[in-house]
Amino acid sequence: MSQFLGPLDSAGRVPPPQQTRVAAFLISAHGALARQLAFALPGQMNAGWQTELNAQFHRETEIVSLLMRATAWIPDFTLPYMMLAWEAAWLPKPVAAVADQKQAMTIDIAALGHAVHGAIRPAALLPVDVQAKDPFVIALRRIEFESSRLIQAQILFLKSDDLKPMREPVSAAVENRHRQVGKLWAELLEGIGVGRDAETE
Amino acid sequence: MQFLTHGSHRIGYELDGPNSAPAYVLVNGLTQYSELWTVHRDALTGKGFRVATFDLLGQGASDKPELFISQDDQVEALRLLIGELGDCPVFLCGISFGGLIALRYAIEHGEKLAGLVPMSTFAELSPQLMLLGNALRTGLILGGTSYLQDLLLPMNLSDAWLKPLLGNLDAVKRQGWLVNDVYALQNLMESFLDFKPLTPQLPSIKTPTMILNGEFDFLTPRSLHETLRVHISNSSLVIIPNAYHAFTLETAALTADLLARFAEDVLAQRWQGNKAVWIAPDEPGGEMIPFPDGYDHLRAIPVKRSAS
Repeated sequence: MSQFLGPLDSAGRVPPPQQTRVAAFLISAHGALARQLAFALPGQMNAGWQTELNAQFHRETEIVSLLMRATAWIPDFTLPYMMLAWEAAWLPKPVAAVADQKQAMTIDIAALGHAVHGAIRPAALLPVDVQAKDPFVIALRRIEFESSRLIQAQILFLKSDDLKPMREPVSAAVENRHRQVGKLWAELLEGIGVGRDAETE
Repeated sequence: MQFLTHGSHRIGYELDGPNSAPAYVLVNGLTQYSELWTVHRDALTGKGFRVATFDLLGQGASDKPELFISQDDQVEALRLLIGELGDCPVFLCGISFGGLIALRYAIEHGEKLAGLVPMSTFAELSPQLMLLGNALRTGLILGGTSYLQDLLLPMNLSDAWLKPLLGNLDAVKRQGWLVNDVYALQNLMESFLDFKPLTPQLPSIKTPTMILNGEFDFLTPRSLHETLRVHISNSSLVIIPNAYHAFTLETAALTADLLARFAEDVLAQRWQGNKAVWIAPDEPGGEMIPFPDGYDHLRAIPVKRSAS
């Protein structure tokens, strides 16, 4: 078990089986966010922060498109089963303690977005000697870089004055989504020989 | 690494050195992690001290609360850690953000401390520091941890330290980048959004206090340390020559030596703060020099202090 992807092939690329699993997970998570944002986007915006939703919707679809093209895919017969489990996990879970159902749903979408952009750091899996110009490597670095900006929409909303009276349930919702996403991500990585607490370089 | 529990969060810490010895607790700066104290820890344990290092909430091996990290929670984490040390004399030392947390601890629980060493720190946000903090936060948001490191490295370290590393800066940054998450660093920075100056509470700190400030500290300049010197009765200000904000990285052996000498003086009841101003030696073991009488230590040129 290593803290990083690999062992790399002779050209310094991440092995295709690892690329396939990592990309499938990220496509599932970011694809789910794109779908949820598409539904959440109002036809007519009435709050400034909603402009972020529009930008984020397009960024999420960009990430999906990028991974589909930058990954060295191989057949992986366990993926359909795993995809089902992931997709079930991303299903909306309106925050129970919030009476307004629309707001409860929006908080959950934001909580999932915070977790996907905050708890998953794909570039941190790359060993130092990876081939820096490989498309998959560039894609992972780009996704992590974009995530630190994309998470801002979630932070602005989840910390907004509107939600101050609901700080406890909002924090709990975000914590739960982080735990869920972190667990699925850790399980996926363990399946390809990568462990968070494994030895460093 | 061992863990303390605060609410639903875990705080990673390590204790080294003999159990009943006087202890030093070292508190990280904002983007630091506990391994950066290795040189200090080894030097202090070599002189018979017990040393506690830990990661603040939001850092390194400690939990990273998702939305909010209050400075009160950091002080509570510190209280729990110091509680693990038993009845031995405790010296508390923190740098930058960690220095602020150490000050807050000393204000609330000063009776638990034998000595306090705030380094490269502040009790209030001057306009420059506030604007720099805002700009660094924006840098973090727009460019991630790596960009924040790119800003902090030249701001906080000397040319002499940076020059031999110029071709290998990615390696210097990598561990800090790996262990720090953007949202957690952002939460730490945003714990200043409701920050109230500590200056009115500083006089309540009665514990012996050695304030360390790099000669060329750009981020937290002399004037911010002067606030501590003026308001903490049993304090001395020690200027580290040729040093910048992150002098604990650059002059680790010297810093560890100053920490050990301070604690030994306090324990031997030789320490007298007197709100004096000193210049530290260039090397460990060197002589401390009083700041030249009559000259203004807040200036960068030799200007006579005004009569007032």
